[in-house]
Amino acid sequence: MILLQSHSRFLLQTLLNRLQNLEKGVELDHHWVEFDDVRYHIQVSTKNPHLLLLSVSLPTPPPETNFVGGLPFGAIEAIKAAYGVVVQILDPPRDGFNLTLKLNFSKLPPDEEYKHAILVKIASVREVVLGAPLRVILKNLALRRVAPNMDQLVAIVHRSNESLFLFPQAEKVTVMFPMRFKDSVDTTLATSFLQEFVDARRTAGLNNAPPCLWSPSPPLELNEAPTEALSANAGFVSFVIFPRHVEGKKLDRAVWNLSTFHAYVSYHVKCSEGFMHTRMRRRVESLIQALDRAKPESKESKKTATSKSFKGKVCVSDPF
Amino acid sequence: MDPTSRPAVVIDNGTGYTKMGFAGNVEPCFTLPTVVAVNESFLNQSRSSSKSNWLAQHSAGVMADLDYFIGDEALAKSRSSNIYNLSYPMRHGQVENWDAMERYWQQCIFNYLRCDPEDHYFLLTESPLTAPETREYRGEIMFETFNVPGLYIAVNSVLALAAGYTTSKCEMTGVVVDVGDGATHVVPVADGYVIGSSIKSIPIAGKDVTHFIQQLMRERGEKIPPEDSFEVARQVKEMHCYTCSDIVKEFNKHDKEPAKYIKQWRGIKPKTGAPYSCDVGYERFLGPEIFFNPEIYSSDFTTPLPVVIDKCIQSAPIDTRRALYKNIVLSGGSTMFKDFHRRLQRDLKKIVDTRVLASDARLDGEIKVRIFG
Repeated sequence: MILLQSHSRFLLQTLLNRLQNLEKGVELDHHWVEFDDVRYHIQVSTKNPHLLLLSVSLPTPPPETNFVGGLPFGAIEAIKAAYGVVVQILDPPRDGFNLTLKLNFSKLPPDEEYKHAILVKIASVREVVLGAPLRVILKNLALRRVAPNMDQLVAIVHRSNESLFLFPQAEKVTVMFPMRFKDSVDTTLATSFLQEFVDARRTAGLNNAPPCLWSPSPPLELNEAPTEALSANAGFVSFVIFPRHVEGKKLDRAVWNLSTFHAYVSYHVKCSEGFMHTRMRRRVESLIQALDRAKPESKESKKTATSKSFKGKVCVSDPF
Repeated sequence: MDPTSRPAVVIDNGTGYTKMGFAGNVEPCFTLPTVVAVNESFLNQSRSSSKSNWLAQHSAGVMADLDYFIGDEALAKSRSSNIYNLSYPMRHGQVENWDAMERYWQQCIFNYLRCDPEDHYFLLTESPLTAPETREYRGEIMFETFNVPGLYIAVNSVLALAAGYTTSKCEMTGVVVDVGDGATHVVPVADGYVIGSSIKSIPIAGKDVTHFIQQLMRERGEKIPPEDSFEVARQVKEMHCYTCSDIVKEFNKHDKEPAKYIKQWRGIKPKTGAPYSCDVGYERFLGPEIFFNPEIYSSDFTTPLPVVIDKCIQSAPIDTRRALYKNIVLSGGSTMFKDFHRRLQRDLKKIVDTRVLASDARLDGEIKVRIFG
């Protein structure tokens, strides 16, 4: 897996499972949390097995973002456009959540393929809601214009108390991410990962990809942004999106990939750490082998399998 | 926000299946086979060929590092193409391949649960016989690779006891009979602490039931494609097996009414795509029977499970024995055969009753001797 999928695997599994066992009327009450502090709660009662309540809570928005009634701007319209009659927005939402959707299984279209597509769309509710503002701006970009009555610099929440910034123009949109990591090792890895990422963009095969830049200091476009939003320990990444990147079907993927860019980097940082551990283990094993070979043969080896592995572990725990 | 406000992530890695989910729910989010399919075609290439395009090969190797699947997807991938190699990170309830295990966790966290490991406390499980070094290593991976804020590694048997913990009945003393896919343990627990010296292990577990069923079906000459036979045996075990009260009676029942007891198994040959079917007969009750009559399966180990449980309790401190007999908890997938608990209870009761009678008789004798002597 290189990119994160836009639908929540568990939500899709639950919805499909539900659809198959509609008549059984099993009670369901499940809550779970995804990356960037998006919480879900799903509930079905035995009385109305056709109705499913899905509540979503979003990351805490930083003060510079534009939130309307607990949701990012444009979210309500986006939900209505994406789901149509199948889903109804409940007002007020469930306690502690930003949004509660009432999903009616009996209103699903009969066509199997279309039905599946709608359920996948519902499972990617996070993309629809959190990506709504980004979507509005990128859609305007595809039409080569700037959305009316919008600020010069738009902040959009993507993690708890953190936002990404957009600088929309008629011909291009600049998307900027202040990158923050908690752990010092993660920060270092992320910094070099991002530099490699920018380098990789220059290879011949990626000529059409959006240009991207990394710098340790905030880019000029962010001059107006509040200073507390600009404290980033892994630098700033900016992408320049042109209309050709968001035409037609590309829009959905562009929105998803941009709004989860931080999660993408953090996933790859973890993968790199895992890869390094694998290499370290392999190296230790080869060193132990070399040591064993070097031992004089007269000495009878009385080691058991457990003592051997114990030795290996002690060596590995030694940070090189 | 601190991780206490979010539910903890629970990952229970078993030899056969991994169960994972979030604390506070009634059931796990995912139950997946513990298997990883790795694409190793890149790795071998990069060593043998020339050094000129080193960078290209290096990046191919790095890509191969992300090119792997876990669980059902892994099984499907390895069947459809032969560039993926399956590796099973757990064996007999212990982690055997740490590389595969680390990758498995990575996918569990990022692809299945899709959570940020820095945001949640983690609860992992281990078998009661795990060495402290293994536990340390597990913690090391969790903290160093995934940066989890907090971790607890619990003994799965204690968790099985805790599952029955309610506000009205808070009993943390009992014997946990944990029959998984790769290991069987009988673990006495007193007040939440494992009595380590009395743990008994049996070299017969779920996988052996599957092997036995596979063997029975092969010997009877059922036409199952050999590359599929283990998988078929596993599914037969999960869908059709049950525990009987008496083998001889059960054989008679099957012979009298074959239509009622003999099931049909239908499948599709993986190579040619042709459908096939086979009968499922005696193995339905003979499979689980290997726990009660191990001699039908192996000649090395012949102590039935109820006897092992009895021995285990007898070796525990005398003041806990009564409570241990009172609370015997079954856990693990291979205890889910129909009527398994009933058979176990009956056999165990028989053993205990015989002992009580024998000791009564002996005591009676002694008292009489005292009186008359």
